[in-house]
Amino acid sequence: MTRYLVRRLLQIVPKLVGIGVVSFSLIHLAPGDPIVALAGEYGDAAYYAFMRAKFGLDRPLGEQLLIYLGNVLRGDWGISYTHGRPVAQVILSRLPATLLLMATALALSSTLGVALGMWAARRPHSGSDLAIRVLCLVGYALPVFWSAQMLILLLALQVPLFPVQGMTTARYRYQGLEYVWDVARHMVLPVAAMTLHQLALITRLTRTNLLETLAADFVRTAYAKGLSEWRVLHGHALRNALLPVITVIGGRVGFMFTGAVLTETVFAWPGIGRLLVSATLNRDFPLLMGLFTLVSAAVLVSNLVTDLVYAWLDPRIRYG
Amino acid sequence: MSGRCGALLFGLLAFALIACVPVVEPPRAVEEGQAPPEGGEPLSASAPEEGAPVSGGTLVVAVTADPGHLNPAITTGFNVHAVADSLFNGLVGLDANANPVPDLAEGWEIQDDGRTYVFHLRRNVRWHDGEPFTAADVRFTFQEVLLKYHSRTKAGLENVLAAIETPDDYTVVFRFREPYAPLLQRLNVTEAPILPRHIYQGTDPQQAEANLNPIGTGPFRFVSYTPGEEVRVVRNDDYFKEGLPYLDQVIFRVIPDPSTQLAALEQGEIDYVWRVPGPDIPRLAADPEIELAQVASGPGGGFCIMTLTFNLERPLFQDLRVRQAFAHAINRQQLLEQVQFGQGRVATSPIASGIAWAHIDPEPTYEYDPAKANRLLDEAGHPPGPDGIRFQVDIVHFPVFNRWSQVLRENLAQVGVDLVIRPLDRSAAVETIFVARDFDTNLISYCNNTDPEIGVRRMYVSTNIGPIPFSNGAAYVNPRIDALFQQAAATADRGRRAQIYAEIQRILKAELPYLWLVENAFTVGHRAHCRGFQAWSGHFAETAWCSVEG
Repeated sequence: MTRYLVRRLLQIVPKLVGIGVVSFSLIHLAPGDPIVALAGEYGDAAYYAFMRAKFGLDRPLGEQLLIYLGNVLRGDWGISYTHGRPVAQVILSRLPATLLLMATALALSSTLGVALGMWAARRPHSGSDLAIRVLCLVGYALPVFWSAQMLILLLALQVPLFPVQGMTTARYRYQGLEYVWDVARHMVLPVAAMTLHQLALITRLTRTNLLETLAADFVRTAYAKGLSEWRVLHGHALRNALLPVITVIGGRVGFMFTGAVLTETVFAWPGIGRLLVSATLNRDFPLLMGLFTLVSAAVLVSNLVTDLVYAWLDPRIRYG
Repeated sequence: MSGRCGALLFGLLAFALIACVPVVEPPRAVEEGQAPPEGGEPLSASAPEEGAPVSGGTLVVAVTADPGHLNPAITTGFNVHAVADSLFNGLVGLDANANPVPDLAEGWEIQDDGRTYVFHLRRNVRWHDGEPFTAADVRFTFQEVLLKYHSRTKAGLENVLAAIETPDDYTVVFRFREPYAPLLQRLNVTEAPILPRHIYQGTDPQQAEANLNPIGTGPFRFVSYTPGEEVRVVRNDDYFKEGLPYLDQVIFRVIPDPSTQLAALEQGEIDYVWRVPGPDIPRLAADPEIELAQVASGPGGGFCIMTLTFNLERPLFQDLRVRQAFAHAINRQQLLEQVQFGQGRVATSPIASGIAWAHIDPEPTYEYDPAKANRLLDEAGHPPGPDGIRFQVDIVHFPVFNRWSQVLRENLAQVGVDLVIRPLDRSAAVETIFVARDFDTNLISYCNNTDPEIGVRRMYVSTNIGPIPFSNGAAYVNPRIDALFQQAAATADRGRRAQIYAEIQRILKAELPYLWLVENAFTVGHRAHCRGFQAWSGHFAETAWCSVEG
């Protein structure tokens, strides 16, 4: 198992290098000039030439790539054009906010999704099953940017339960437990917007898989042994039904990052999703590369974790 | 299953509890009876004056993008200036009509027919860290920072400035190679903020640590910057302008989405937004707790003209009749009303009416007349084909200008011109237009700023053709125009300068290298209990105050 883990972790490195080369080429070949973000407006030709040279933008693309890879190997991710600070520093300052949002939304959508899926599968075609299925369909169909705006309109403006924007109250700096409450209040709407979509998907998937499993012979055997419905569902059926659900949850990590772009923009949440948008608009190449690498690494690691969870859930799967 | 339901109920209850925790408002200190500042009149357009300014309180301002850093001397970007200008000062400020007023310099003399400017600095100014401000700071900032990294100031002054001298600690002398008229218009906090020499000396100003922990002389002192979230500044108690500022604290909140900004304004989470989108103006105008004001300039640029650029390197547009036909085919009044929601006025000249001393309305007026446009296109040898189309041209613009290009497309379709819309994001559009020059026409809002030398000349002189963003995109070459701009810059007398600019406007209006569509204004929105804003200036909150009722 340890050897397997080490091998998989080592495999991530060449994959990241490959992703790095492809994204570097894509970013630089796409139309767009970072010179305005770098140097401002109304300049003269000499000034723009000076700034291009200062940031190495006047060199051939291959040379730029080699210099970049060499720097990264030395742990230097470059200086962000728009922030004038090391890329790693810029990203790290924004990452916790996104992780907080993503982890909460992923945890909520997974637990609630499995719970609702179980509830629906327990009495298929009942009133509650129908209600859950309809809600799932609607939840999955709503685009995040729209549902986010609607949440603001309904729960922040019409019925002012929650704040409109930000991660904290601007006018007052809370400390200690009050700060936690403040962040929690600000989290509710963005988490709801991010959760809704995932929740619908996971609920539907759990329900379908559980229904299939519940029709299997070993479930009938379990009932025949006189086990309670609770024990059958929890002890036997759910574990089998969850495998495909785990695959989907693991695969959603990448999607969560894209969801964070929209959610963070609408709710002014200070995370890396918005950083990605502004880095793209400004063609902040070093920052973009740092963000791409981070997201790719997150997806690769989450795939690995998913595989490990498989082995834990299903004793038939063994890695050696 | 009841356990599951319980968990669900608990979750919902927790949400409801969180929602019900009251927000604690900080106490406001109130001091009555302070006189309003000189030159600090509130935006009278919509803010009726009630009582005298009161000290204290917090102003929360929405900004659209994270500033990234807080050094206004190395960038022309709005996102940095909207925040950082409040921490610094220029030598000379500008009032609402763009006339020079004292800032760090309390007075000045223009000598030698405009070749020499002598500035007398205030003696009671201290940096936020307590160090005294002197002439050495001014010389250092110009020589080591502004003339190297502030693209607009560098491009404008580098080649005309001969020397900056500091005969004593409180005198700065600017010497020019030839008379230079527009200097006083480019010394405000947005064009030339003064940095502390003792902090920046020996650093790379683009990556200095002080860019994130700025020390200025301005009305507010820096407290904290949380990237992507907010910048906090507090009142500078030692500010050299007596009694100012009134506000205890200003918080700049980064809110990228315009509708979220407005929702937060309506809800009272924030007090001030720089831009209210046109469609939202009627709704906000009806809200008694919100006041709106129309302004034509701000820290990101001023007196901007939405401009259609003809690519004069394309044979089609080398024919003046085609350009004239476009001018008659495009309904500028419709653009003003339907796209700008009435914010601004129809543009009539290459120099915006905001620069009142230089602006004229030259002939011809190019009134909206599709029949005349059709005639001109016929004469130019572009008859309509069987499908009614004479020719196809593209238009490159930023995606935010989509509504403009849609109206233009409708207008031009009526005279048989098929306009292909090519929206490109800002960076890609700049490259396509100014580097690759791959366009027939383009649409850009060119800001004239406070003097034609700063924001107008760059679009017309032949030395500005090339890979320079927001320059002479038309590739217009006219030696007479080059010479006139040169002459205007070197003419000290404003009356004489105005005559030269009048001639420039007459020539350009006749030759139409560009089509000037609408002079854009923008609408500032703020909570009604806060007033006294100088929205045209980087020091927008210097004289602002909030009464307690908010």
